[in-house]
Amino acid sequence: MRVAVISGSLATGIRIASEVERLPGVEVLIVDCNVRMRSPLFRWLRELALALKSFPWCGYARKLWSYRRSGKLVILDHTLNDSESLERLKSLECDIGLHAANVIYRQPTIDAFRLGILNAHIGILPEYRGRSVAEWSILYGDPTGVTVFFIDSGIDTGSRIILRERISPRDCRSVQSLKTMLFGFDAILYRQALAALASNGFRYTHNEISRGKRYYVMSKILSSSVENILKAGVP
Amino acid sequence: MDLETARSKSARTDRRTILHTALLERRAELRQGWLRLIPAECLESLDSAAESVASLLSGQDVFHDWTLAVAHHWLDCQAGLAECLLLIGMGQRIRWPVVVAPPPLSLAAFKKLSSKERVETLSLRYRCPLNIGGEGESEMAEELLRQLMVSDRVKLETEAEFDVDDILLKLNLVAVAAPFKRDLRFLDALNYFYELPHRALSRLRRNPRLLAGWLCLYAQLLCAPDWQR
Repeated sequence: MRVAVISGSLATGIRIASEVERLPGVEVLIVDCNVRMRSPLFRWLRELALALKSFPWCGYARKLWSYRRSGKLVILDHTLNDSESLERLKSLECDIGLHAANVIYRQPTIDAFRLGILNAHIGILPEYRGRSVAEWSILYGDPTGVTVFFIDSGIDTGSRIILRERISPRDCRSVQSLKTMLFGFDAILYRQALAALASNGFRYTHNEISRGKRYYVMSKILSSSVENILKAGVP
Repeated sequence: MDLETARSKSARTDRRTILHTALLERRAELRQGWLRLIPAECLESLDSAAESVASLLSGQDVFHDWTLAVAHHWLDCQAGLAECLLLIGMGQRIRWPVVVAPPPLSLAAFKKLSSKERVETLSLRYRCPLNIGGEGESEMAEELLRQLMVSDRVKLETEAEFDVDDILLKLNLVAVAAPFKRDLRFLDALNYFYELPHRALSRLRRNPRLLAGWLCLYAQLLCAPDWQR
């Protein structure tokens, strides 16, 4: 199975790739996107800052060199949905893309991958689609967690769910710490999802969107209520 | 439950109380600050409604449940939409005649309308705004919520050009729909817009009637019980 991590920074790409490549029979590439079309200077300064923050220098540099040398590091100069980027993605002949960049995918980009692009959504589907879903789940007293599914061009409407993992807020006492904790599961859950896909007799769970709602960015007043619920440790 | 009771209960904390306390605190904030949004000259332009609007916004926590006026019927109203919204916002008792519901609106066609056409379409269809709360109008209410929270909020946040009537009309209709749905997402759209920078909100003064209608509805909804499922 040939997999590409579509990342918004090299640090994220290496973090996810390192986890996923532990899976036997999986070849991993990193596709680094210039998400907001930053100038080259700003883009690489940002990359450097993120690298310094995220990894022990030595390990990071070794990984980066290893991916670069083996031709498994692809750096896109244009936006992901640009026609030139699209041609480059198609030429990689990947089976699956792993979403790790702050972008919205158009259908041709999704179609550049044989099976599609996986997303680790920090909410339980089909109930919680859209934005601020971790906060909305807490507010309603519903389970928090992550759903790994194949995206389509809608907002969390892709029909093929691979896994849903309930993850308790545990010691999270703020919205930020909750979201950071949930986002931090992406690499492990991508690996588990790929393992599930490769297993015999695997069947998708249908993302039945009529069972859920689309949520939107939460107001400050409700966010502070969620913060109070977390601080109070309300079950 | 008043704000003080809610605060003392909030110390013991459960989800419902925390939320209720926060909403009542917002209501108290609105009671103090509404004149910044509707200044005196704006209020004067409301003519005879000015006193009732001021009284409701400055007054006690109250929710006049307008969902009781509709029971799966399509209502007709000869007064203008803005007048009806103000009446509901001010908590007036409403008795409008029941008529045959018009055919459903095509959502696909609605999405393609310009803002001017959208205002015309909404004003005509929801001449009696309570009709947005009907079962058959759920998709339309959802679409109005989506438009507000996806594209419209960005226009206000980035100080881009926007159609004041279009956004205010949607805010009012989403507010009217909220208690029918008992859905916090609808109330939270109002929270979100209320929290936008003052500079953005002051542009909404170009339509004082719709602005006053929205704030009155919002003030009432903050006091509505049972937002939690």
